[in-house]
Amino acid sequence: MGAGPSSVRLMSADQPQPPPPARDLAPVVYDELRRLAAAYMRRERPGQTLQATALVHEAYMRLAGAGTPWHDERHFVGIAARSMRQILVERARARGAQKRWAGLNRVSMTDALAVASEPAVMLPALDDALTRLETIDPEQARIVELRYFAGLSIEDTADALGMSPATLKRRWALARAWLFREMSSS
Amino acid sequence: MTAEQRRRVRDLFEAAVDRDATDIVAWVEREAADDSVVRAEVLSLVDHHSRAGAFLVQPIVEQAADLLADEEPLAPGTCVGSYTIVRELGRGGMGRVYLASDARLGRTVALKALAPHLMRDPAQRERLRGEARAAAALTHPGICTVYALEEIDGDLYIASEFVDGHTIGEEIRAGRQPTRDEVWQTARELAAALASAHAKGIVHRDLKPDNIMRGGDGRLKILDFGLARIGVGASDAGPRMTLPGTLIGTPAYMAPEQINGLAVDARADVFAFGVLLYEFACGVHPFAASTALATVARVLESDARPLASRADIPSRLADVIARCLQKAPAGRFGSAAELLGALDAAGGDATEPTRHATWWRVHHAVIALLYIAGATFAWQIKEWVETPVTVSIFLALGATATIGGVLRGHLVFTSAMNAPRLTTERRRTRRPLAWLDGLTAVLLFADAAIVAGTGALPAVLALALGLGIALASLVLEPATTAAAFGDEP
Repeated sequence: MGAGPSSVRLMSADQPQPPPPARDLAPVVYDELRRLAAAYMRRERPGQTLQATALVHEAYMRLAGAGTPWHDERHFVGIAARSMRQILVERARARGAQKRWAGLNRVSMTDALAVASEPAVMLPALDDALTRLETIDPEQARIVELRYFAGLSIEDTADALGMSPATLKRRWALARAWLFREMSSS
Repeated sequence: MTAEQRRRVRDLFEAAVDRDATDIVAWVEREAADDSVVRAEVLSLVDHHSRAGAFLVQPIVEQAADLLADEEPLAPGTCVGSYTIVRELGRGGMGRVYLASDARLGRTVALKALAPHLMRDPAQRERLRGEARAAAALTHPGICTVYALEEIDGDLYIASEFVDGHTIGEEIRAGRQPTRDEVWQTARELAAALASAHAKGIVHRDLKPDNIMRGGDGRLKILDFGLARIGVGASDAGPRMTLPGTLIGTPAYMAPEQINGLAVDARADVFAFGVLLYEFACGVHPFAASTALATVARVLESDARPLASRADIPSRLADVIARCLQKAPAGRFGSAAELLGALDAAGGDATEPTRHATWWRVHHAVIALLYIAGATFAWQIKEWVETPVTVSIFLALGATATIGGVLRGHLVFTSAMNAPRLTTERRRTRRPLAWLDGLTAVLLFADAAIVAGTGALPAVLALALGLGIALASLVLEPATTAAAFGDEP
């Protein structure tokens, strides 16, 4: 316990396999992130917040090398953000399905907003909305993945997508407004 | 909307958000005057942008790190401090539970690995320690003992007694209807365990069939006593866990006040006891409905179905259950101790005199006769050897014979005339009678020693009488009592 990532076990064979990766998702990135996330959770101390960017960066450092399917860290970050989205949504869905009864346990039934802000409840709906946004404007979906799922700053997101921070900030505002409308109407 | 229109919406929106909020609407209406679709879309997006607040602002991982905590279980053989994992037993709201062996004491324990996100907040960690400490103070055969709260490499584990068996929940789901005696036995054991915890001021809060184990010896043990609140935050770590209105417990077994987020005391456990015993007795939840939410609504609003499906459940027990299921806490028993008293009172007619109970009565009559024989013999010894000691022994034996005889006579009388009180009376008199028997035996031994100088026969007789009373108290009485009532009060 509490040891570095090297002591974390790999996914065992009897674990349910993740659904087929979306588009350019590299399974190796997905697996590495899962392992690193588990390791972070173990090492975490009170008062410390898990930084998604640190997670992504560490995954890159560990996977960078010959024969990797990405060109540079920028390209990698895009794949990693997508993997993070997939990992988190998958787990939120699994949790929702597995604990329909138990889910009621922890939720304040008098406060509908609280229910909506529950990540396990909200994430699957956000994922659906994001998939719809993707068909309209893939770039906006990428921005949301980088900002919300990989935790990148405005500057780093702009850098990863090759646009100016000012433009990115406005487009991020647009994506948020669009998703917020989508989520609050459904 | 065409691609061209979308591009225009995007450009107009991005230009609009940079503008002063007061003239955005007018500006958009002016700029998109020629296209009502674009205009409406931009205005809608601007409006939602202004209301989006903190939506998506904080990266998901920073607010829901526990989603990443769903890691794989510890492999068998893994060492955690002095514990070695044997296998995973299951997982609950608090985290995974393993069967582990504790190398220090060479015993097998249930090791609960608390999910890391439950302990991020130092205040929460401290509260958890307090609850584990309180839970560890509970020692009752009907409660699964908490051994220790271990902090190993920054992770928290609760080590507790491992109960090898199955849950009451599994029994209910298996569909076999328990006998009337099994229902009584289950009710008594649970109420007694709850009463001992309530006496220490500890409320379970999440009493349900899946939290009650039946061990290999058939005895019940309540799991997770006093730990219900530790599991809160399993799916929503953060300050919300302390807000009023956050539910702790399993809705189908929660008292109305608990569902409503009000303060909860021992009477919520009494309610859960009622639901669970009802369900155990007839296999159907008293507020069963098609969905979880509908069940909760019935708990809040409707009365339980009458226990009619079990005609053999005595109406007195049905009344006790009905009182547990009262909507208002004040309508229920004030604590499990009161509940236990009511069960005992109602239980009298369940333990009708059997031929075993006849043996129990005969036993009491014989012991009462032995008391009199002892006192009479002590008088005879006093006649033979008149010293202050033999006189005192005679007086003392006269007193013990009188008190013991009256108490035993009272028990026999109660069993015949006022059966509902019998369990209470048996519990009250058990200890005094044991002391009286012990004292009588010791006094007879003393007389035997004194009279040994006069003659061997009287000495042997006194010794035999003393031994007979002592053995009857230690061996025969528990056996006849168990044969008659199936328990030791």
